[in-house]
Amino acid sequence: MPHSATGSGRLSWGQWAGLVLGLVGFAFPFVAPVADLSPSGNRMLAIFLLAVALWVAEVVPLHATSVLIILLEVLMISDRGLFSPIAGETAVKYPLLFSALADPVIILFLGGFFLADGATKFRLDRNLARVILKPFGNRPAMILLGLMLITAVFSMFMSNTATTATFMAVVMPVIAQLPKEDRFRTALALSIPIAANIGGIGTPIGTPPNAIALGALSKSLGGTPITFGQWMLGAMPFVLVFLALAYCLLIGLFKPVSERIELNMASTFDRRPKAIIFYVTFGVTVLLWMTENLHGINSNIVGFVPVVVLTCTGVFGVDDIQKLEWHVLWLVAGGIALGTGIAATGMDRWFISLFPWGKMGPFVLVAVLTMTALLMSTFLSNSATCNLIAPIGISLAMSGVVKVSPVEAGVFIAIGTSLAMALPISTPPNAIAFATGQVRVKDMAVVGAIFGVVSWGLFVWLGPWVWQAVGVLPK
Amino acid sequence: MSKLIILCVEDERDVLDALVRDLRPFEGPFSIEATESVDEARRVVAAAQSRHDHVALVLADHILPGITGVQFLIELQRQPHYAATRKVLVTAQAGHMETIRAINEASLNHYIAKPWQVEELQTIVRRQLEGYVVETQKNLLPFMQVLDSQTLLEAMRTRPSPAD
Repeated sequence: MPHSATGSGRLSWGQWAGLVLGLVGFAFPFVAPVADLSPSGNRMLAIFLLAVALWVAEVVPLHATSVLIILLEVLMISDRGLFSPIAGETAVKYPLLFSALADPVIILFLGGFFLADGATKFRLDRNLARVILKPFGNRPAMILLGLMLITAVFSMFMSNTATTATFMAVVMPVIAQLPKEDRFRTALALSIPIAANIGGIGTPIGTPPNAIALGALSKSLGGTPITFGQWMLGAMPFVLVFLALAYCLLIGLFKPVSERIELNMASTFDRRPKAIIFYVTFGVTVLLWMTENLHGINSNIVGFVPVVVLTCTGVFGVDDIQKLEWHVLWLVAGGIALGTGIAATGMDRWFISLFPWGKMGPFVLVAVLTMTALLMSTFLSNSATCNLIAPIGISLAMSGVVKVSPVEAGVFIAIGTSLAMALPISTPPNAIAFATGQVRVKDMAVVGAIFGVVSWGLFVWLGPWVWQAVGVLPK
Repeated sequence: MSKLIILCVEDERDVLDALVRDLRPFEGPFSIEATESVDEARRVVAAAQSRHDHVALVLADHILPGITGVQFLIELQRQPHYAATRKVLVTAQAGHMETIRAINEASLNHYIAKPWQVEELQTIVRRQLEGYVVETQKNLLPFMQVLDSQTLLEAMRTRPSPAD
């Protein structure tokens, strides 16, 4: 995720290139329309090409591209837009495009933000971390294990970036105790972003790509194709395996020299009534999410419960609401709207017809989609990557050209984006670890590349089997 | 990218050199400008503004040829552009009336009595710069290695974070 210079006013060369390419791409279907595409399909192609360039080059902030997509879709492919549909064409109803901004998955994510921001506000993350880390003792190898586990657990409910900031602050004093030549410093600094990225895989709200895939799937298939609990059952085995893999890599590459590390984390639990209300809300929400099969209320609806409880009780005031990461919700909404537009105009069918996908077996296709997600998100934002390829992957599976379930395509693309962690620009957590000065690019690249390839192999090999076992994928 | 400047104003050459030497650990994300008078400092400030650079911190002596350090700090504080700039007096000769003026009219952030202890100076400067960057900078990562990473991480934790 390159830090865009937008805001400071001046565009970099890369951004200029992106802008020019985006505008050329946008104009292309108007100048030389694709014969096999309907007029509205051509207009959608224009929007799609512009979106690719803007998200890849981050010409404007990621969320700004998202809202631009929604407006352009309303103006160019909806029933109230600038173009009237030709005979035989039904334009998308414009409220459907705007509804991406309040998609049930967005509501789920909003609930997640309330929990995550509350955890930060009441320092629940720091305080729980202290309690949980205690039994791991003082041996460096054990401390590393404890830190990775706890980081991953919090990252399942908080953004990967906020989790990294929290636990990097725990790790920095530990690193400071170690002698300069102890390479274990690198292991500690790298362990946090890696564990945070892995933890994001664990739940639908762990990281935006999961929400993007779920949103796209429910738009294409209707209903809720995967429950919160099913996602966790399918993803948790891999979270554990990936953590074990990363742990072995870090311990193997950066052996600790010091024998003992002191972990001093002074903290006391906030016991004010508002904090107590928050703890209970947090616990109940997570419990409701995991027990959908008992009560039948789907996780998107449960996601609105903390929003209501925490605002009604005054635990979250106006300033807390303003501090939420609304821009992330818009970013996700842009991906959902893009998927809606691509499917509604038939652009997806044309795009799929360009390549002989049928020649690939289902296994190869899923492996290729997952690797594409991984490679792209090594250089781009995970969310932008998922926004661009999830709709195409899902459409491809829906088309029936290859025998792959749409759910498999969506889930594997989403999880594939989270496996990319080879460069400081791959994810904001990596950027934080790199900024501490304890990690060289080479260290990050070696660990990230080995991790990426091995985790990708494990996931495409064992993933379909696990997700079938939990009842998400057809046998 | 615009630079962040630490501006030193001190008329005694060897004291100025010592000050710049003691601030060396902050070089990198910050650039240090040494000036011997308020006139020279004003020129540096004007040049910085035309380059879209920002003055993060001013360390000024009080007794200077022409205009006093306190007067210069007040002058800066009156311009909205420099309201966020951290202002510190490094002096042995500011009487308590002038010091009170500096606090009231220049929102003086700290008073360092000469001769300073190196560690004390660095601690104060570090804290002032942390306050400045947390208040004004969107991206705190470039400062992680010269300022206290814990303070910066805590600020990042409580701000809206970028999308994964």
